Amino acid sequence: MDIFSDLVMGLSIAITPINMLYLLIGALVGMIVGVIPGFGPSAGLAILLPVTFGMDPIGAIMMLAAIYYGAMYGGTITSILLNTPGESATVASTFDGFPLAKKGRAGPALVMQAVASFVGGTVGVILITILAPLFSQVSRSFGPPEYFLLAMMGMLTLIVMIGTNWKLGIISALIGFALGTVGVDLETGQGRYTFGSAELIGGIYFIPIAIGLFGLGELFYAFYSGLHKTGTGGIIQYDKESRFWPTAQDYISTRWTMARHSVLGFVVGVIPGAGATIASLMAYSTERSLSKHPERFGQGEMAGLVAPETANNAASSGAMIPLLTLGIPGSASTAVLLAAFLLWGLRPGPLFMEQNPELAWGLIASMYLGNMALLAISIFAIPLFVQMIKVPYRILGPAVVVICTLGTFSVHASFIETYLMFAAGIVGFFMRLYGFSPAALVLALVLGPLAEEALRQTLTISRGSFGIFLDRPASLWIIGVTIVLVLILPLMGRIGGSAGKAEKAGG
Amino acid sequence: MTELQDNWASRLRAGAIGVAVAAPLALGGAAFAQSYPSADETLDWTIAFGPGGGNDIMARTIIDILDTYDLYPGDIAAENRAGGSGAVGWGYLFAQAGSGYGISTTSGSFVTTPLQADTPWQPADFTPVALLATDDLVLVVNGSSDIQDIGQFIEYAQSNPVTIAGTGTVNVDFIVPTLFAQAAGFEFEYVSFNSMADQTTALLSDSVDAMVGNPGEILGLIDSGDLRPLVYSGASTPAALGDVPTMGDVGYDIGVSMPRGLILAPDAPAEAQEWWIATMQQVVQTPEWAEYISSNTLTPTVLYGEEFRTFLTNTQNGFAEVLRSVGAID
Repeated sequence: MDIFSDLVMGLSIAITPINMLYLLIGALVGMIVGVIPGFGPSAGLAILLPVTFGMDPIGAIMMLAAIYYGAMYGGTITSILLNTPGESATVASTFDGFPLAKKGRAGPALVMQAVASFVGGTVGVILITILAPLFSQVSRSFGPPEYFLLAMMGMLTLIVMIGTNWKLGIISALIGFALGTVGVDLETGQGRYTFGSAELIGGIYFIPIAIGLFGLGELFYAFYSGLHKTGTGGIIQYDKESRFWPTAQDYISTRWTMARHSVLGFVVGVIPGAGATIASLMAYSTERSLSKHPERFGQGEMAGLVAPETANNAASSGAMIPLLTLGIPGSASTAVLLAAFLLWGLRPGPLFMEQNPELAWGLIASMYLGNMALLAISIFAIPLFVQMIKVPYRILGPAVVVICTLGTFSVHASFIETYLMFAAGIVGFFMRLYGFSPAALVLALVLGPLAEEALRQTLTISRGSFGIFLDRPASLWIIGVTIVLVLILPLMGRIGGSAGKAEKAGG
Repeated sequence: MTELQDNWASRLRAGAIGVAVAAPLALGGAAFAQSYPSADETLDWTIAFGPGGGNDIMARTIIDILDTYDLYPGDIAAENRAGGSGAVGWGYLFAQAGSGYGISTTSGSFVTTPLQADTPWQPADFTPVALLATDDLVLVVNGSSDIQDIGQFIEYAQSNPVTIAGTGTVNVDFIVPTLFAQAAGFEFEYVSFNSMADQTTALLSDSVDAMVGNPGEILGLIDSGDLRPLVYSGASTPAALGDVPTMGDVGYDIGVSMPRGLILAPDAPAEAQEWWIATMQQVVQTPEWAEYISSNTLTPTVLYGEEFRTFLTNTQNGFAEVLRSVGAID
């Protein structure tokens, strides 16, 4: 078959010693930028881009791409160990990742996230290899109406987040929506709550808020409950009884989770602008709807970690489709990759793969190798990260403050964002103390502006008619899937016998 | 704001990085006859946006040319000072008033950010060196559209109100179609997006009728026939767009474009300004510069010194007038 000869050609280009070295450097850098909270792949890529100017384009693009998908591996480590998402696509991984670590299963959680990342990433590349032309059609059927519906689907996760204490949950989400209104109104160009500050024109970026609420808030709470006096362990208990490696049960119970969310994550990733963050959130809420034990989610359920982890890696592969087949970047990170293509005088677009087969297939082939390298690096690095838990909390705590501060400042070199991060830390402590939901706040901050803008674009286009959602086939598909997810699946769960447990899930 | 909606062109704001380009001493240049520039002073080159964006590419292209032709005798330290849509970087340059060794490149936000926020500086405050090029826009429709040329588009738009997508509102993307529609006598709804990627997806999915954008980012889709270019807003159409007419060619010249130029700190010494004008006259003659203009599909528009200052003031006044009329700014 044609694809295989292309892939073999790509492999022959990728497997030169120098290109392999670039690939490994990229994978390592990606892991590292992923681990540092706030310092996500787009910032890492943008900073390293000038370094690649003198390099051969194939090696450079392989390296930059490895930074991009490598960050998805690293981003989860702090989600699990510190309850601080390393970047936006790993917020959902804190929901069950951190409870798992609290239960003493940090080691298995880290290994499983690496395995899930590998499966998601690799299935993603396989799908790129065989179905790129088909999926480019998916990329081009999404407009503002579909983005609005997707954001609504993402908000279903909010219901899960809000949980049983629904009053406090709703207040948390409303604070998030309110913060999301800051910035220049996209449609009229008027500043909203910017108070004339140039720093606020772009709105409140969600990374400083997430780092403050989760990272610092958790830390302050730990000090409040006197953990620094206990000397060892900190928030997370490291249980020597439970082994480092995941049990066979962990693999068996999540095998279908991985399969499902590799495909789901990839499809969402293919849609420009939706990307890994929405994919991971959708995976989490879908997995919870499908689960026989929805009540275990949020308490340290392995499937609740594996689902978003598989999906965000598959989505980062999927996001290469619009980039390679249409020249449209699906996320901030792929936008930097596009900038790199343009810098080398390439012309991304529908003819890109035809005109530059060596580059396109070299890149795809390198993604197979890169994912394998990242799995190996992760497994080797995990024991090092687990050591972190043994550091006495009075030492670990201040170190976390420094990491959070540096991570926030490094994103945009902004003092205002750093102050926001500290303010969010204090707010996060009180939210934790009184049972509010920081996760709902962050989700609302992410999805609110997206939904608002897409809805206003949609209504401008349709001149105020909501009928547009029913006129477009892609919209109808999303509505259909949402109905299945919200109504039919939980209903089936109830009929399936575990009525009492499912009741709680509706919460 | 989230990763999902980042406008990559303006928000690739990363931490500052310093790249020192050591330029060897110019041998026998005019530089020795004057006190400016001194080889002992490091040129502090501010890039007000992150790496990889349009402003960054232009600054590094000029620095490369200065280096290749030994035009600047001292060291050049280029630093990305991103943030606040350029407010941070140009604010840093503004604070160096009186110095001849602070320099920066401009782009659209140089004009629009002061209109949106209380920046302490205005474009006319800086010492102008040269306008080197302008960013202009192409109006495109979906390749599957029945509309084949700009005449048909105007005719269609006059009887059916159309939707045109662009990036942002306080932006040339909004101003160009607004002025063009006024001149050509049609009405449209402007649909504002956060990035070129979002608006391109909207057009490809047939959500909007047309869009405006810089040709550089969509040439691939134009080549493949997925997008059909109708009209170009600059003074002359770039070669890559073939025989697409300009707005002037079809009789509706609007005369608005985004300035890409070079500025020094406010009140820089006159000899510094003169030296840079003379140097940039050499830079724009190089083949590397011609390559930069064509690969980024810019319109070469060159104005020096005070003429550049007048151009900036006129552009900003024109923008403010249109934006005020629609209520986008006070």
